[in-house]
Amino acid sequence: MDELRSLSQRALVSPVTFSLLFAFALAAAIVAITGGDPLAAGEEMFTGAVTGSGLRNTLGRAIPIIGMALAVSIAFRSGIINLGGEGQMVIGGLAGTIVAIYLPGPGFLIVPTAMVAGAVVGALWAMLPAYGQTKLRLPILITSLLLNYVARAITGYLVRFPLSDVSVTLATTRQVPETARMPKMPIFGGVSLSLILVILLVVLLWLVYTRTVVGYETQMAGFNMRSARYGGIDVEQRTVQVMVVGGAIGGLIGTHLIIGEALRFIDGELVLSGFAWTGLLVALLAVNRPIPIFVTGLFFSGLQIGGLAMQRNAGVSWRLSQVLQAVVIVAVACRLAIRRSDRPTAEAGETEAAGLGEV
Amino acid sequence: MTLELELRGITKRYPGVLANDAVDLAVRPAQIHAIVGENGAGKTTLMSLLYGLFPPDEGEIFIRGEPVRFSSALDAIAAGLGMVHQSFKLFPTLSVADNVVFRHEPTRRGLIDRAASAARVRDLADRYGLAVDPEAAVEDLAVGVLQRVEILKALYRDAQVLILDEPTAVLTPQERDQLFEVIRRLRDAGRTILFITHKLGEVMAISDRVTVLRNGRAVAHLVTAETNPAEITLHMTGRAVDLDRRAPEHDPDQLVLEVSNLTVRGGHGRPVVEDASFGVRSGEIVGIAGVAGNGQSELIEALCGLRETDAGSVTLSGRDISDADVAERRAAGLAYIPEDRYGVGTTRQASVSENLLMGHQRQPRIQQKGWFDREAVVGLTRRLVEVFGIKVGSVSGPVSNLSGGNLQKVVVAREMEHGTALLIAEQPTRGLDIGAIEFVHSQLIAYRDQGGAVLMVSAELSEILALSTRILVMFEGRIVASLDPRRVAEPEIGLYMTGAHTEAAVA
Ligand SMILES: Nc1ncnc2c1ncn2[C@@H]1O[C@H](COP(=O)(O)OP(=O)(O)OP(=O)(O)O)[C@@H](O)[C@H]1O
Ligand SMILES: [Mg+2]
Repeated sequence: MDELRSLSQRALVSPVTFSLLFAFALAAAIVAITGGDPLAAGEEMFTGAVTGSGLRNTLGRAIPIIGMALAVSIAFRSGIINLGGEGQMVIGGLAGTIVAIYLPGPGFLIVPTAMVAGAVVGALWAMLPAYGQTKLRLPILITSLLLNYVARAITGYLVRFPLSDVSVTLATTRQVPETARMPKMPIFGGVSLSLILVILLVVLLWLVYTRTVVGYETQMAGFNMRSARYGGIDVEQRTVQVMVVGGAIGGLIGTHLIIGEALRFIDGELVLSGFAWTGLLVALLAVNRPIPIFVTGLFFSGLQIGGLAMQRNAGVSWRLSQVLQAVVIVAVACRLAIRRSDRPTAEAGETEAAGLGEV
Repeated sequence: MTLELELRGITKRYPGVLANDAVDLAVRPAQIHAIVGENGAGKTTLMSLLYGLFPPDEGEIFIRGEPVRFSSALDAIAAGLGMVHQSFKLFPTLSVADNVVFRHEPTRRGLIDRAASAARVRDLADRYGLAVDPEAAVEDLAVGVLQRVEILKALYRDAQVLILDEPTAVLTPQERDQLFEVIRRLRDAGRTILFITHKLGEVMAISDRVTVLRNGRAVAHLVTAETNPAEITLHMTGRAVDLDRRAPEHDPDQLVLEVSNLTVRGGHGRPVVEDASFGVRSGEIVGIAGVAGNGQSELIEALCGLRETDAGSVTLSGRDISDADVAERRAAGLAYIPEDRYGVGTTRQASVSENLLMGHQRQPRIQQKGWFDREAVVGLTRRLVEVFGIKVGSVSGPVSNLSGGNLQKVVVAREMEHGTALLIAEQPTRGLDIGAIEFVHSQLIAYRDQGGAVLMVSAELSEILALSTRILVMFEGRIVASLDPRRVAEPEIGLYMTGAHTEAAVA
């Protein structure tokens, strides 16, 4: 009972609640000012996101958002800025697609094999910046980002030439054969089986973070590298491990997006989808915790799907949902910053930034 | 006579802790006023309240008779207060002058006038005898100099009252004497100094008055000239404490740590440890004495696997660990209390129990196949908190809530718990109150008596003399002497420490 009360109290003062209220109020004001009906727009958005095919679309879109958020959060938690989610998703996705298209055999073997191939290639791709940092002292922040462009170029070349489907004018692979597609589940009007995979990943990561030595060590390394090293944690090895796991999840999601959704690997399409970057924002907002990532990912997905419904049915541009998304992010960031600066140790701005650390 | 500063009935509560309990404090102008008390007695909290870092729950503050209510440190600075924290707060990449004039930069035609700021800082430094180069980058400076920069910062903002929180804890004896010179000069120039320390010798040497805090309450206000260390101790702890105990004789046994011809180079390629050879046997405490910065820290880091070595070998319990990483060395039987408890010894963002777990996380009784045994983790935490008397509101709260001394206890407790063949203790009692020092000393002795080998580095010669079975002296990266504490006096060690005496190193 007490626990419940303190939980609801925390929710009330939480920066997230505040930001959401603020963002929705602002969006309503915009709609009203431009001559729309905010209540109607809100209703369309809500029903569009959670009823009928809207719910299926919300869940479907949440799969890559949550997945990519999990992928980068793993590195972020241990203090490694992995900006290469996109490249890992793209290159792993193509690898999975190749297996799905060219490997003969029954679907129940091809689909898992394609997913594994995507994961392995995504992981290998993520190992490049990881070893670059541990062996050559090249910062992951930069190499992982730059490798996104390399991944785009490589996949672009492959689908234009060796793997190109010459029967269409697009730069694309052939279509994934019927048998090699990710099955849909007979619930919510047909959601991809990958949803189960994402849920399993959330639970698994939560268990790892709260119950295992590896979870403890990555977290402590993320907080304070020097102290972790002192405590006997092999920081280099941890760096490679978290990059590999993150890259593997990126590759899984990339593969899912092709064999479960697009069915063709069209050059540039995975990049344009922006899932890697939406996922990164979700990870930041949820402070890299798996369960909040799941909730935030669903919410963002719902905003996007609901926004489309709102445009259809209430005549308000779907871009409003992008505005909402942006305002939520900025508001949460501001609130977090304010909370940090009114900690008692902070002395009028002179401190935290100053940190010669504690000598 | 009006008081410079008066606190009346100051109370501050934290969840589960009454940090300050109706504290009264009266400080006269142009005096050095010492504040003493055990770890967690509430000294830092009281000073932070005074300095406007957070408001008291109850009570009033008067400055020169006027009631004041600060909403931030900026108000306190404007009212003429200056504070030098237990941990410094400077911009490492900027110059000394830039740091000092920060937010009050002299300008010329709207631009910062760097020449003027350097000149002003030099002026101020000369006036109070604070030797610093205004142009030096802060990141290159030694701890003692950093502190002078902090003091300059306060003086530049024209602080009439200067609050120093354990300023001597990180200083060498020489630096401490210089600091005392500066403090006396400031007092003679009419400024008031509030001075927190755990060392009663310092209280007697420099203060005019003393206030003793105990469990958050001001239990005594004394005039230094009319009291003595025994009386102050009694007020602090409620019992008498005897620190001046020499370690009883004990026969050292087999060799646990053997270091041969170890050389370590610094960033600039110059050796910072040169050809060091020595051993530590089970059942002995070897103390390394030396002026800070003569290679002690580098030697210890190299032994623990945190720094690359250039030549030489290290053997632990018969195993060559020269190329082992930290985890392997720890597994081979080494525990380490590092001198930097904030940056290395603990992780500020983590909880007390997560910090107590560090280094134990892979032990079979704590985890099975990588999964924590949660009861074992809780048990470990609870035991360490209890045995070492760590004052903590909640073990799942952030470790940054702990007082400086209690943080040190976290590190000491955690490392001693390993019960390894070798314990390396670097400045093990820095920042601890005398009761806690006595406790840590007795723990080190017990460790030794149970057959442990202890290698201790300390800036406190008295600590080295009181505990060591053997004393090594380091000077400019070399071990210049191996001495028997029973046959050597402090002044002689001092001669070795400054390089005035040399002797072939003895293993
Ligand atoms: N932010 C906080 N939250 C909760 N408890 C706190 C916080 N800050 C301090 N405390 C508690 O208040 C008490 C007094 O702490 P304080 O830092 O004032 O001690 P101190 O006298 O300076 O000790 P030391 O000599 O060890 O530095 C301690 O028990 C400490 O754990
Ligand atoms: Mg303190």
